[in-house]
Amino acid sequence: MTNGSTLVRAKELYKYFPIYAGLTSRHVADVRAVDGVSFSIEEGETLGLVGESGSGKTTVGRLLLRLLPATKGEILFEERDVLAMNRTQIRRLRRAMQIIFQDPFASLNPRMTVGEIVAEPLRIHGLASGKGIEDRVRELLELVGLQPYHANRYPHEFSGGQRQRVGVARALAVNPKFIVCDEPVSALDVSIQAQVINLLEDLQAKFRLTYLFIAHDLSVVRHISTRVAVMYVGKIVELADRDELYQNPLHPYTQALLSAIPIPDPVLEKRRKRIVLTGDIPSPVNPPPGCRFHTRCPVAFERCTIEEPPLREYAPGHFAACHWVEEHGGRGPDLT
Amino acid sequence: MRLLEVENLRTIFRTEDGPVTAVNGLTFGLDAGETLGIVGESGSGKSVTALSIMRLLARNATVTADRIALLGENLPDKSEAEMRRIRGYKIAMIFQDPMTSLNPVLTIGEQIAEAVRLHLGLNKREARDRAVEMLHKVRIPLPEKRLGDYPHQFSGGMRQRVMIAMALSCNPQLLIADEPTTALDVTIQAQVLELMNDLQRETGAAIILITHDLGVVAEFCRNVLVMYGGNMVEYATAEQIFGAPRMPYTQGLLASLPRLDDREHRRLDPIAGQPPNLLRLPRGCAFAPRCAYRMPICDTPVPLYDFGHGHMARCYLYDERARDQRPPAAQALPVVPAGSAPR
Repeated sequence: MTNGSTLVRAKELYKYFPIYAGLTSRHVADVRAVDGVSFSIEEGETLGLVGESGSGKTTVGRLLLRLLPATKGEILFEERDVLAMNRTQIRRLRRAMQIIFQDPFASLNPRMTVGEIVAEPLRIHGLASGKGIEDRVRELLELVGLQPYHANRYPHEFSGGQRQRVGVARALAVNPKFIVCDEPVSALDVSIQAQVINLLEDLQAKFRLTYLFIAHDLSVVRHISTRVAVMYVGKIVELADRDELYQNPLHPYTQALLSAIPIPDPVLEKRRKRIVLTGDIPSPVNPPPGCRFHTRCPVAFERCTIEEPPLREYAPGHFAACHWVEEHGGRGPDLT
Repeated sequence: MRLLEVENLRTIFRTEDGPVTAVNGLTFGLDAGETLGIVGESGSGKSVTALSIMRLLARNATVTADRIALLGENLPDKSEAEMRRIRGYKIAMIFQDPMTSLNPVLTIGEQIAEAVRLHLGLNKREARDRAVEMLHKVRIPLPEKRLGDYPHQFSGGMRQRVMIAMALSCNPQLLIADEPTTALDVTIQAQVLELMNDLQRETGAAIILITHDLGVVAEFCRNVLVMYGGNMVEYATAEQIFGAPRMPYTQGLLASLPRLDDREHRRLDPIAGQPPNLLRLPRGCAFAPRCAYRMPICDTPVPLYDFGHGHMARCYLYDERARDQRPPAAQALPVVPAGSAPR
């Protein structure tokens, strides 16, 4: 699927949200949403980014598009430095990278018709005018499985799945290369989810799109991704090819996460062993020292409480950040 | 005698756009100690079913039923005061969002104590002891200390465990859990499901688990009721539902689901179209407009068909009369007798 050229590269990316308190609005702490994250996305691939609430996965997506300013780090898009760009350059960049949001209710302006919503990026970027806009809107609506007459309707007249199609049409309007899909199917019913997933796959094949697919549903991520990165409290703890990650997870957190997903098959479920983690996900305001997962990790030892494990490559393309794995010759623990 | 028997439940909401039929003649039941999963998508009527039984709906709802019997006692005959003695005592309920179902200005201890003082008649001291015992049971660390904390001082998973502690504090015969883990992260969901499993084994309470997550049902439930357009379309054991689903909607749901254990990339097979409009439910099968096997007979009201071993499905594909209308792909299906709903 890929031709080996890197489209997006993030290096040591940080995003701290300051917390102010008291009468003088003193800076008291930071929410360390993204805390030193590096990865690359190859042209034509889908990188899945999974994690639980507070892991920082949504923030990573917004940083790449510069919808949020990064605290520190480097983002390269086609080898160009995104964080150094001025407003004009950013605007041009947004023609190449787009985003689809989770909530198809909150991300469409209720006072605009669907036609106006899809036409807006065309106007902003001066890609079409007059009759050209109308034609292009019709073409885009058909592309995502809607009817041309839907252009005159308002978002509230549509179901969740149809609205998400409008969001996809809007993202496609500028012919982007790269789309951040931020939980695009999480708000949809199961029977509608599959329609939108198939649509995203079809469009990727048709236009050679590159996706960053952010989700908490590991079954959906397995289905759609080429490679998968797992985040935990602001850090990537494991990154590998899709099948490698799901069949041979190294990091104890990835193992626990995968074992926690119930499979819709009661016969299989009875045979499966589940790793039930104790405790809660730590706060990104005050993450534990050393490895962030050590407070819940069944195999943590002293080193994990002091020293932060680096993300290291243990097999070709298979990265993990775990002292246990390092001290056991690149093997993951057997937790089941 | 079955623990709960619901017959011909119908719930209609008056709205500005006209009457919305949320539950459309539902009949089902469950035994003491059973786990029944009710699955369906948004608007299928699964939550409204629970709220109708509990009589917790707003005034624009009209609930009718031939019978809603808890151990033989017909709930619609009860006065509001009698219902208050049943809710929280005989039938307890937990909701999706533990933050909005806990009172933010009362401590956790006060909220648990309130229920046991009212229903079990315990004095202040006994109620406090009971609250500590329950928090301990749901594995809240240092329960004596946490008793004085307010809901916002707990994480989402802990709040849901507090809700479970509260719900089980009066030893209810039936616990209705409406999407209890939907708002939780997966590792926390695993904790909560394991806890519910353990507590059920210990207390013997029957559980109705309402969810849209088929994986959770496969893990947790003995029997499964699938709802679509306000009524039951299939009912069976979990093994039957997942192993040999009969209703095209159930089959479609399973085919449209990406699975964690999919080895090969397989194209998902979505169900075409959109969920039904509850303002205009069709007379016949509510799923017919989206069904690949649609036949002329599907536009008339559909009875249930009995596949044996308690497996029921509401679909004309298995009717003798529809034999010559079946599409080629369905020619080989068996014909089975019409049955009655599981009471």
